[in-house]
Amino acid sequence: MSNKDNYPDINGFFGEYGGKFVPETLMYALDELETTYQQLKDNPEFLKEFYKDLSHFVGRPSPLYFAKRLTEHYGSANIWLKREDLNHTGAHKINNTVGQILLAKHMGKKRIIAETGAGQHGVATATVAARLGLECHIYMGSEDVRRQSLNVYRIKLLGAHVHPVDSGSATLKDALNEALRDWVTNVDDTYYIIGSVTGPHPYPMIVRDFNAVVGQEIIKQSQELFQQLPDAVVACVGGGSNAMGAFYPFINEKDVRLIGVEAGGKGVETGEHAAPLNDGTPGVLHGARSYLMQDEAGQVKDTKSVSAGLDYPGVGPEHSWLKDTNRAEYVAVSDDEALEAFHQLTEFEGIMPALETAHAFAYLPKLLSELDNKSNIVVNVSGRGDKDINTVAEIDGIEF
Amino acid sequence: MNKLQAKLTELKTNNKKALVAYLVAGDPDLDSTLELMHLFVKSGVDIIEIGVPFTDPIAEGPIIQKAHDRALKLNISLDLIIDMVVEFRKTDSETPIVLMGYLNTFISYSKLLNSSDELGVDAILVVDIPGELKLTNYGITNSNIDTISLISPTTSNERIQQITQNSSGFIYYVNLRGVTGSSNLDVNEIEKNINKIRQYTDIPTLAGFGIKSPEDAKILAKSADGVIVGSSIVEMIDSAKTTKDFSEIENYLKDLHKAIN
Repeated sequence: MSNKDNYPDINGFFGEYGGKFVPETLMYALDELETTYQQLKDNPEFLKEFYKDLSHFVGRPSPLYFAKRLTEHYGSANIWLKREDLNHTGAHKINNTVGQILLAKHMGKKRIIAETGAGQHGVATATVAARLGLECHIYMGSEDVRRQSLNVYRIKLLGAHVHPVDSGSATLKDALNEALRDWVTNVDDTYYIIGSVTGPHPYPMIVRDFNAVVGQEIIKQSQELFQQLPDAVVACVGGGSNAMGAFYPFINEKDVRLIGVEAGGKGVETGEHAAPLNDGTPGVLHGARSYLMQDEAGQVKDTKSVSAGLDYPGVGPEHSWLKDTNRAEYVAVSDDEALEAFHQLTEFEGIMPALETAHAFAYLPKLLSELDNKSNIVVNVSGRGDKDINTVAEIDGIEF
Repeated sequence: MNKLQAKLTELKTNNKKALVAYLVAGDPDLDSTLELMHLFVKSGVDIIEIGVPFTDPIAEGPIIQKAHDRALKLNISLDLIIDMVVEFRKTDSETPIVLMGYLNTFISYSKLLNSSDELGVDAILVVDIPGELKLTNYGITNSNIDTISLISPTTSNERIQQITQNSSGFIYYVNLRGVTGSSNLDVNEIEKNINKIRQYTDIPTLAGFGIKSPEDAKILAKSADGVIVGSSIVEMIDSAKTTKDFSEIENYLKDLHKAIN
C-alpha cells in the first residue's frame, strides 16, 4: 500500500506528527466526529450530496487558466493558474466548509463555531451555516478584525456572531485557542469547523480530503490542456489547507514537484516571520504535534506576516511529514516579495490574488530559473484579493 | 510511596478530605509564589498545584489565562519553577507538589525533569495529553514523578478504564464541560461520575474546575476524596499583587479546609 493510502495511522499520526493533544473533555467529540466521517466518507449518498454542492453552490470545477503574459514575461515554463479565487465566497475555504457542514448536519449539531485569520474561513463557515439556518459563532483575533474589516462585515451580514479575541498576539492562533475553549464548554451541541489541515485528528485528514478536489481537478485538467501532469504544483502554506488539497492527489506521482511557500515576513533570517517549516522545530500546539515556532522554553513565538491568513506559528502535521520525507519542498518569501507579486499578477493577468496567494507567486522567479519552456507548472490561486485592498492601500500610503 | 501518595493515604486513613490549592508560578513574581506556597500550607492546604505558564493555555478561563500572561512577561520558565520548588523544599519536605501545565513546555524540559530524584516535584498533570498516553512516550521518564490524568463528564467507560490504568497519584475529575473558573456545577452528575470512576480504581479521585465557595467545596467533598481550587485564589492573588497582603487568601483557604472536613 502506498503512503498516500496509509496516513494518518489509526491514532491520527503522519509519521511522528499529528495526534490528538486536547483536554479530555474533547476526546469523545473527536471520536464521535471520526466515527461519523468513517461511516460517511465512502457513502455514495453522502458523496453525491457533497459533489452536488461543490458543483451548484461553490461553482466547481474551477478553471485551470493559462497565464499567457506572465509566462511570456518569465520566458520559462508555462504557468497555469488553478482558479480557486473564482469559487463562491472567493477562496478554497468553501470546499472544506461545504463538506464539514454536511457532517454537522448528519451529527445533528445545532451550533457551529469556527476560527478565522484572514476572514475567508469565517465567511465560508458563516455562508454554509446560513444556508442550513444554524447558529454560528466566529472567533477572530482583534488584530485581524482590524486588518480584515471587510470580511468581518461580510460574516455579520451572513447572520453569524463575530467574537474578537484580545488575548496573546490577537491573531489566528489566539482565535483557535478561544474556539477550542468554546468547544470544551459547549461540546454537546456544537460542531467546530476547523479551517485548515491543523488541529487534532481527525481534522487534518477531513480538511485535506474535502480540499483534495482541487488536486483531482488539476490532474484531469492538465491532461486535457497539456496532455501530461505538471512538473510542479506551487501553493502558499499557512496552516496548509489549500496546499494540502492541491498536493494530496499527487503524492504518489513522484515526478511532480510539490512546493509550499511560507510567509517569510520581514525575512526568515530576522526571526520575524510565520515560516515554521523553514525555521521551526517540532512541538505541540492546538491538538497536534508539528513544526512550530517556539523558543527553548517551549513557549510559542509571535509571528509576523502581512497576510493574516498565513500569520500562524504552526502548520498542518501532514506538511511536517511531507517535509521530513522530502516529498514536498517548503520555501519562504518575504512580505515585500509577496506584495510585489500581488501587483504583478494584478497588472499582468487582471487577477487580483489574496495576499496569502501572492506568496506562491513570489516564489516563481526562483522556481522558473530552474525550469525550461517545455515545463508546465500549476500555481494554486487560493483566494482573491478584494479583502486585502485596505491593507495594500495602507502600505502604499493611500487613504480613502 | 512518594510524598503525594503518602499524604493521600494518610488523609484517607484519618477519614479526611484533601484540599488542593492552585497558583501560577511567577504571578505576580517568584518570591511571592514561594511566600504563598508556605502560606497555603499554614492555612490548611494539603497539596500544592503549581501552574506552569504557557502562551496558549486552551483549558483555562480568563482569570488563569491572564495569570499565565503576567508570568510570561517575567519570562517564567520550567527551570526557574523547579529552582523555586527546590528552595521551598529547604523548609518544607512534606507538602506534595504537582506541576500542572501543557505538554509543549514539559517536553522542552524533559532532560531537566529526568535529571534527578531531588527536584521536589511529586507529580505532573498535563492538560493536553489524552490520559491513555504515557508521558514516558514523550521523554518524561522520571519514575519518582507521578502522572495525574484528567477524567471529564464526557469520558466513556472504556476510556475511564484505560486512563485509570495509566494513572498514579490521584485522578483529577473535571467537574464540568468548560474551562477553569466556569460556574455551572451539576452536583448530581459529578457524584454519579465519581462513583463510576471508583468502580475502576482505588486511586483517590479529586474534583476540580468551577469550585468557588466553601459551600461548593463542602458539597463536592461528600463524593470526592478532595477538592481543587484555582481561579478564585488566582483572582485574590491578582487583587493583592501590589499590597502583597495575602490575608484574604489565608482566610479563604481556612474556610475551605473547615468546610470539607
